[in-house]
Amino acid sequence: MTIGAAEAGLGAGVGDGRADTAAVSRRASWLRPSAGGWGGALIRFALAVALPLGAFLFWELAVDSGLASGRLVPPPSRILATLADLWTAGQLADHIASTCLRVLLGFLAGAAAGALAGSLTGYFRFVHAAVDPTLQALRAIPSIAWVPLFILWFGIFETSKVVLIATGVFFPVYLGVSTALLSVDRKIVEVGRIFRLSGFDLVRRILFPAVLPAFIVSLRAGLGLGWMFVVAAEFMGASEGLGYLLVDGQQLGKPDQIMAAILIFAVIGKLSDALLVGATAPLIAWQDNFSRGGL
Amino acid sequence: MLSLTGLGKTYAGGVQALAGFTLDARPGEIVAVIGGSGCGKSTLLRLIGGLDTPTTGTVSINGETVEQPHPLINLIFQEPRLLPWLSVCDNVGFGLAHLPRAEQVLRINEALCRVNLEAYGDRLPKALSGGQAQRVAIARALVTRPEVLLLDEPFSALDALTRETLQQHLLDIWSETQATMILVTHDIDEAVSLAHRVIVMKPWPGRILDEIVIARPHQRGGADFDQARARVRSALNHSLSASAPADIRKGRAQHSSVLETSP
Ligand SMILES: Nc1ncnc2c1ncn2[C@@H]1O[C@H](COP(=O)(O)OP(=O)(O)OP(=O)(O)O)[C@@H](O)[C@H]1O
Ligand SMILES: [Mg+2]
Repeated sequence: MTIGAAEAGLGAGVGDGRADTAAVSRRASWLRPSAGGWGGALIRFALAVALPLGAFLFWELAVDSGLASGRLVPPPSRILATLADLWTAGQLADHIASTCLRVLLGFLAGAAAGALAGSLTGYFRFVHAAVDPTLQALRAIPSIAWVPLFILWFGIFETSKVVLIATGVFFPVYLGVSTALLSVDRKIVEVGRIFRLSGFDLVRRILFPAVLPAFIVSLRAGLGLGWMFVVAAEFMGASEGLGYLLVDGQQLGKPDQIMAAILIFAVIGKLSDALLVGATAPLIAWQDNFSRGGL
Repeated sequence: MLSLTGLGKTYAGGVQALAGFTLDARPGEIVAVIGGSGCGKSTLLRLIGGLDTPTTGTVSINGETVEQPHPLINLIFQEPRLLPWLSVCDNVGFGLAHLPRAEQVLRINEALCRVNLEAYGDRLPKALSGGQAQRVAIARALVTRPEVLLLDEPFSALDALTRETLQQHLLDIWSETQATMILVTHDIDEAVSLAHRVIVMKPWPGRILDEIVIARPHQRGGADFDQARARVRSALNHSLSASAPADIRKGRAQHSSVLETSP
């Protein structure tokens, strides 16, 4: 059904006269994110989903026709059925909610700590010299290696999970903010100085806006790691959450449940990133980017 | 009144960019500073603007020593240096945060009118041409009503036509505000046609080589103009032929030999 809709979309896009002439006059111009109009958007969407949908279709047919057993790699229809079962059984929403809550808390804590530490090291040379080497050394430790220690320190319940996620989020945000502050263009800082800004005003009116784009990129990287670490956190003993569904699926030999959980991870990971991008886009619309304006 | 006495700057690497620079600029005077690349012109403006501290000598305005950027002195950089996240209006009003909003709007509009950009207030810097951006930068410096305006080759990146228009703008602004202006330039015609006095500098270390008072300022063409221009040109030729001091030449030689011996 979804495939049919996508094909209809493709047809509508190509049939649209405006998209047609645009495609002729500017070759592949609809590939540019800035290309306007519903026709361009539909074509781009169709192109983006063609590969995964094609793969799903292929596997579905392969299992359907008996070419593959689909025992270890269940076909999409069975995954969807499992999703529906989990949903109607009423636990799926709880699993999703508890995973999202862990990521949210860990993300907020890690991003706040990373932004604070990054600001301090980026702004004060002394703090940078004193703290950055240590943090860089800690960053070199694969964060999963902290798991046993965190369990000893914080127990196996929520605290250790949130702390682990926060650790994962912390480092990209710290690094992003710190390096962005250190590389703010001296020329722009001098504009602030000639207008006699100093201290907090300089931070608020020059440094903060200047590092905002890099900060947002680092938040996205941090959020991505947050989703990665929530799985590790839920592996270390959880009674609910998407990570629990993964472990449970493995122990009970239910690959369809594993795939269902993976699918949900993909969807909410992508959604949360899109949400972050969407919410922050107006703040950095001033950027003079290649992709926004072209040449 | 702006006074510079024995101003000198030696950078951390040991480069003596400026030495013994002494100058008094009358209120409302336009002083053009001209000289070859690297002779310390930007350094001079940075010291007057309080962005760098002099190694020797002092800068003072109305008897008050300048050590930090001073409210009565503003600097227009060689590039516009607009803040990309602020609209044209907010860029122009950047130095007015301490004033009530109504006063800010008044001054911003006044300054935008002066540079003929009334219609561009809501644009972002990325949507401006080079000449427009430089005009916004001029407006941004003007709104604080500085007594001393420092201009570091403000028009050098612009085409000849835009440059002439902006030079005329600058003179209009000057006749309205009567600001003292220190105008650094590479362009002899610009110096002679805008300034009351032209200072020719000499490099290594940067110092004053010659000082030409323009008899009838703000006129292009005519015998006086040609005569002044010829004097500035010959002084400039003299300054440019001044060779680099031995240590710099030696430094270059060492550098190139390093390059040659490295694999
Ligand atoms: N921050 C710095 N550190 C070390 N040396 C510097 C620094 N800034 C400038 N210099 C040196 O000081 C000298 C004077 O530089 P300055 O920028 O004042 O020259 P200028 O006259 O403005 O040249 P131009 O016309 O090319 O802009 C040059 O030799 C330059 O290499
Ligand atoms: Mg210069």
